[in-house]
Amino acid sequence: MKYLTEYRDPQVARALVAEIKKTATQRWVLMEVCGGQTHTIVKQGLDELLGDVVEMVHGPGCPVCVTPLEQIDKALALAARPDVIFTSFGDMLRVPGSDCDLLQVRARGGAVRIVYSPLDALELARRNPDKHVVFFAVGFETTAPANAMAVWRAHELGVKNFSVLVSHVTVPPAMVALLDAPDNRVQAFLAAGHVCTVMGWTEYEPIALKYRVPIIITGFEPLDILEGMLLAVRQLEAGRHEVENQYARAVRREGNQPAQDLVARVFELVDRNWRGIGGIPRSGLGVREEFAAFDAERRFSVGEIRTAEPTVCRAGDVLRGVLKPTECPAFGKLCTPDHPLGAPMVSSEGACAAYHNYGRFRSAV
Amino acid sequence: MTIACPLPAIDTERIQLGHGSGGKMSAALLRDRFLPHFSNDILAQLGDAAIVDVEGHTLAISTDTFVVQPLEFPGGNIGSLAVHGTVNDLAMMGAQPMWLSAGFVLEEGLPLDVLDRIVRAMADAARAAGVQVITGDTKVVERGKADGIFINTTGIGRRRADFAPAPGRAQPGDAVILSGPLGRHGIAIMSAREGLAFESEVTSDSAALTPLVERLRARVGDAVHTLRDPTRGGLASALNEIAAAARIGIVLDEMSLPIPPAVGAACEMLGFDPLYVANEGVLVAFVPEPLADSAVDALRGHPLGRTAARIGRAVSDHPGMVVLATAIGGTRVVDMLPGDQLPRIC
Amino acid sequence: MCLAIPGRIVELRNVQGLPMGLVDFGGVRREVCLAYVADQVQVGDYALVHVGFAISKVDEDEARRTWEVLREMSQLDELEQMKEDAS
Repeated sequence: MKYLTEYRDPQVARALVAEIKKTATQRWVLMEVCGGQTHTIVKQGLDELLGDVVEMVHGPGCPVCVTPLEQIDKALALAARPDVIFTSFGDMLRVPGSDCDLLQVRARGGAVRIVYSPLDALELARRNPDKHVVFFAVGFETTAPANAMAVWRAHELGVKNFSVLVSHVTVPPAMVALLDAPDNRVQAFLAAGHVCTVMGWTEYEPIALKYRVPIIITGFEPLDILEGMLLAVRQLEAGRHEVENQYARAVRREGNQPAQDLVARVFELVDRNWRGIGGIPRSGLGVREEFAAFDAERRFSVGEIRTAEPTVCRAGDVLRGVLKPTECPAFGKLCTPDHPLGAPMVSSEGACAAYHNYGRFRSAV
Repeated sequence: MTIACPLPAIDTERIQLGHGSGGKMSAALLRDRFLPHFSNDILAQLGDAAIVDVEGHTLAISTDTFVVQPLEFPGGNIGSLAVHGTVNDLAMMGAQPMWLSAGFVLEEGLPLDVLDRIVRAMADAARAAGVQVITGDTKVVERGKADGIFINTTGIGRRRADFAPAPGRAQPGDAVILSGPLGRHGIAIMSAREGLAFESEVTSDSAALTPLVERLRARVGDAVHTLRDPTRGGLASALNEIAAAARIGIVLDEMSLPIPPAVGAACEMLGFDPLYVANEGVLVAFVPEPLADSAVDALRGHPLGRTAARIGRAVSDHPGMVVLATAIGGTRVVDMLPGDQLPRIC
Repeated sequence: MCLAIPGRIVELRNVQGLPMGLVDFGGVRREVCLAYVADQVQVGDYALVHVGFAISKVDEDEARRTWEVLREMSQLDELEQMKEDAS
């Protein structure tokens, strides 16, 4: 596939690995923000290939993992209603709430459907006027434009039986929270390439400056990650701390303006709880008052659902990159993808799930 | 500092879709809910078919139920699938498929022309596979209780004394050979499903594998240690089952896996791993290394096996575990999934 | 997060005022919303698609530039490998 599979070329990958090893004079600690990047790194064993010069710390860039328990419980309550068709991306179906998950709600008779695009959910609403379709609008800034468009179109077309349950989170506040933590060891970041495709990188410039950390906007294929790591190591070796764009084929400094505009029109910044981390002010998106008719929380009485999240959790340490999945005493024993104890083991993009599925618990490899 | 993870409750009271996916949940269901009640030596083999002796004749018996949605898909329908699936289960145990029974659960409201197409496809598939449908049954249930049609086929085949592939016979030093391209059936099904609509030229590979098995037998005889058709759960699940049954390790070579570009593209779009996508017209064979080239050559002589290739080897290290050597030079474990792969955005 | 893949725009459409397009992903085709790249793309261009929306036009010049740098690095590395093997 053009502009995709070339970035898996083994020969170029080997050359990049060699170049990184040549460039580094000490071991550096890097964090890749995005779950998709974690997936590639662990799947290709990139962190093992470069273990002597780079320590990869896995960031909280998994919207599935960080969706607060509260929002999952609201989703489950909505999905159980006989008048509701609950639609979602596939990722969310196995995430456990306080009591069960969406797959189990489906087993008990709830109408739960996987869709590929939020517009498909809107279309479903138009074709099922006797039901109410709720769409679980989860994701980072990458997905917000799509979800905003679904709300906007519903508004424009006068669709009365469609709403969204929002659990959007934004990256920069999470990065700042990580950097502010006293036990932070991360020296450079591989920023989430697709988030920046939408948002550009202006938000990261003050972060790089204030915290003196290189921030490399990085793609998702093996060559992208490796090149991103190389650029980070070069900056660290030279004592520089700038925002640099590895993912130039997709990302521009200003990002996608029309997308940003519609997101700002439909959503507003709100305080958000991150599962396993806690509350981060102004780190989430909520539906604006003007579009309240399309906010599932306001249309149905699920806004009152409050779930207490334990304030101390190992999953939080993993999401902040302070703990490796393999260092958690429960990893691979009490906590496995079949019986997850925490968020990063539930989602296929979570660090713990990635480590487990790619066999890091088995010392034979 | 107390460690307190939000502990999710696991609903163990009901069947979930994941129980039917061919992955870990399916295995657990079998192990915990069925085997304890049906225990006997023949069942304990847990091969694709049961092997029984009837007064000197060795027979293989296999049953399979087909519930695929949609009923009709590019490359076939539930009828042709129902014939191929059971014929292949027999063939994987080295048996010559002879007879099938066919049980139908029809949903009230199923259009008769759809039924006609399905039954005609079954007849064509049976004829091509050299089997006869010798007995059957039909039931009708109320609207909403059967998704159109469910089909069960049970097959009986005759097994030769000198050809007895079985899951437990795979051994270190065997080459792992794949007869054709991966992922076609699963992607063809996905492309026809509502909600994920995409156009693609991928068609199901559903086919009877008996001619391929016969070619292998004619060429290398009983040196074929193990045969398996990687259906639900994909190549990864099938190999994990064999690794567990034979207590061997398996190493796969990523570069040699034949994944058609259109299958690869669809997997990229949905976030699927081709290793877990269902196949209905390919087989995996474990053959001693010195005979591997010959075996591949034998397969390639038939249209179904034109792109047959060596994809890995059985080893004595890490018994029970399947490992993939990546193109970049790393390795990773290919585990069984708990349930189905779900299309993802992450 | 954010599985987005590049595809080639093969047809432009308008669905009730919303700019849409048929996009080809290595042989698989799907209808995609082009509202966010509408004035940038035409048939034959490549776009990055996430959950049925094009979020960016692929900058083919940049892609080529990056690729050249990587390839050169790879060739130099290969030469070094050959020298090492020979010695």
